[in-house]
Amino acid sequence: MDKHKIMVIDDEKIVCDMAKLSLEQEGYEVETFLNAEPALAKLKEEKFDVVVTDYKMKGIDGMDVLKTVRTSYPETKVIMITAFANLETAIEALRADVHDFFPKPVKIKELKASIERALGAK
Amino acid sequence: MKIEHRITISNIFNFILIIIIIVTAFQNLNLVLTKLRFIEIADDLNTSFLEMRLDEKNFFLYKDKTALFDIQYKVDETIHSIDTVKNDIVKAVGENNLDQLNLDLQDYVKVINEIQLHSNYDTESATKLREAGRKLREFSNTIRSLERKRVNGIILNSKRILLHSSWIILISALIVGHLISRKILNSMRAIENLALSISEGNFKTIEHIKTKDECGSVIKALNFMSEELKNREEQLIQSKKLASIGVITAGVAHELTNPVNNISMLAQTYIELYDKLSREDRIEFMNKVEGETDRMKEIVKNFLDFSKPKEPLLKEVDINVVVKKAFKLMQNMLYISNIESKLDIDDTLPKIYIDENQILQVIVNLITNAVQAMQKNGKIFIESKLSKDKKYIEISIADTGKGIQPELLPHIFDPFFSTKGEGGTGLGLSVSHGIIKSHKGNITVDSKVGAGTIFTIALPIYNKEKEEENG
Ligand SMILES: Nc1ncnc2c1ncn2[C@@H]1O[C@H](COP(=O)(O)OP(=O)(O)OP(=O)(O)O)[C@@H](O)[C@H]1O
Ligand SMILES: [Mg+2]
Repeated sequence: MDKHKIMVIDDEKIVCDMAKLSLEQEGYEVETFLNAEPALAKLKEEKFDVVVTDYKMKGIDGMDVLKTVRTSYPETKVIMITAFANLETAIEALRADVHDFFPKPVKIKELKASIERALGAK
Repeated sequence: MKIEHRITISNIFNFILIIIIIVTAFQNLNLVLTKLRFIEIADDLNTSFLEMRLDEKNFFLYKDKTALFDIQYKVDETIHSIDTVKNDIVKAVGENNLDQLNLDLQDYVKVINEIQLHSNYDTESATKLREAGRKLREFSNTIRSLERKRVNGIILNSKRILLHSSWIILISALIVGHLISRKILNSMRAIENLALSISEGNFKTIEHIKTKDECGSVIKALNFMSEELKNREEQLIQSKKLASIGVITAGVAHELTNPVNNISMLAQTYIELYDKLSREDRIEFMNKVEGETDRMKEIVKNFLDFSKPKEPLLKEVDINVVVKKAFKLMQNMLYISNIESKLDIDDTLPKIYIDENQILQVIVNLITNAVQAMQKNGKIFIESKLSKDKKYIEISIADTGKGIQPELLPHIFDPFFSTKGEGGTGLGLSVSHGIIKSHKGNITVDSKVGAGTIFTIALPIYNKEKEEENG
């Protein structure tokens, strides 16, 4: 069986590095991006199982990523991470069919559990 | 002494003066009346004596004996009438004169009796009779002219008294009025100055309140009010500061989330991979943690700089650094309000002497106002550039908000002017204006209702002299 492919988008390099290190321990194939444009370009070439994206980013933000992914690649689940525990963004994300929604600081175990659920639900 | 008391005392003084004048005038009038009565009596006597003299003439010329009876009759009558007004006559001419008059009359009667007795009237007795008659007339004439003189004297006197007392009353009224009005005016001037300085936001008090009068109480009340206003303003400025700290704290808290998240993820991964990590890997992890704490320290330090109350401290600063700092602090607020922002910075700007924290506060205030003026989905443009005459650096903050009505424009820099009700203290622009003025700069506004507002602050670029002054 092929490795599940996870994409992580966050403008904090440490988040990308740690997510990659930790998720690779679970046997996933992880690719990270510091901003959304190259990430969306990559999605056109390759299919990913789960996209973990930060909400607030320069240029294209997490909400745009979520909407693009859910409409263009319905197979791919999106988990959103945000520094703002803001009800309005949470509702907007839910409407755009987000798989899960995490406030910072992120508990990696919970993130992993959420990714597993996303893969299992497929 | 209270002004009210002064006026009362001066009124009492004038009142007493007027009473005195009335009493003297009344007395004088009475005196004049008595004197007139004397003149009347003297006139009566005079007429009687004149008639006697006429009878005398008749007797001598026409040997008319009845004339003598007539005279006798008139003399009796005169004595009788003198008797009835004796008291008045005594008062007017004195006891001696009256006695003299009686004597003269008796003399006259004696002469007449002699003439009647002897039925002969030689030239001697005729002269005697004439002499006695003349004396009587002289007497009454003297009394009359004497009394006339006295009446004239009294009238003259009254006139003098009236004239002088009106002078006194006039002068006393003028002096008292002048003194009192001068006092009131002086106090008013002091009060006016105080009120003016209070309205300019300068809460001083009037020292040395000497007067215990009404003006003194007003000044005391004003001093109290001024003191209260000063306290209130200090409190308000403090709370204003706390409010902007509130806005900034939110920004700081947000800025801290990322490094906190980074440290958290570093720690979680570190624990998870501990056994698999090499010594170098572990050191690298911890270095990253250290790097993130440095980042946090920097954020917190910026915040402390802002919140610390400081004397204006002019330092050579790159204004763009301040603009970016303010922009960064406001990111969270802009984000939450879903406001698009654009920063347009001129990197070639020279450094200027400013108090960084104060200018930061001004920019934060202006951005806060811009955000508050907009619904969601507004736009903010922040720009730094050189002024046309190249003497100033201009920072403008433009919004696409509701704008300011032209009739409100003259008031927006006033302390406590706010259209935000509970939501604003109205000190933001007033404090900002004060800061920019103390930097010898200008703050201007251009606004169009419904279209947006642009605030521009112009800060002078230091010149050679200033450089030498500071160095
Ligand atoms: N960018 C703007 N757009 C529209 N109106 C503005 C703008 N800036 C200021 N105003 C008007 O000027 C008034 C005074 O502003 P100021 O900052 O002094 O006080 P405030 O914002 O009401 O209160 P505070 O700043 O203390 O919270 C505001 O109440 C508002 O009516
Ligand atoms: Mg304000």
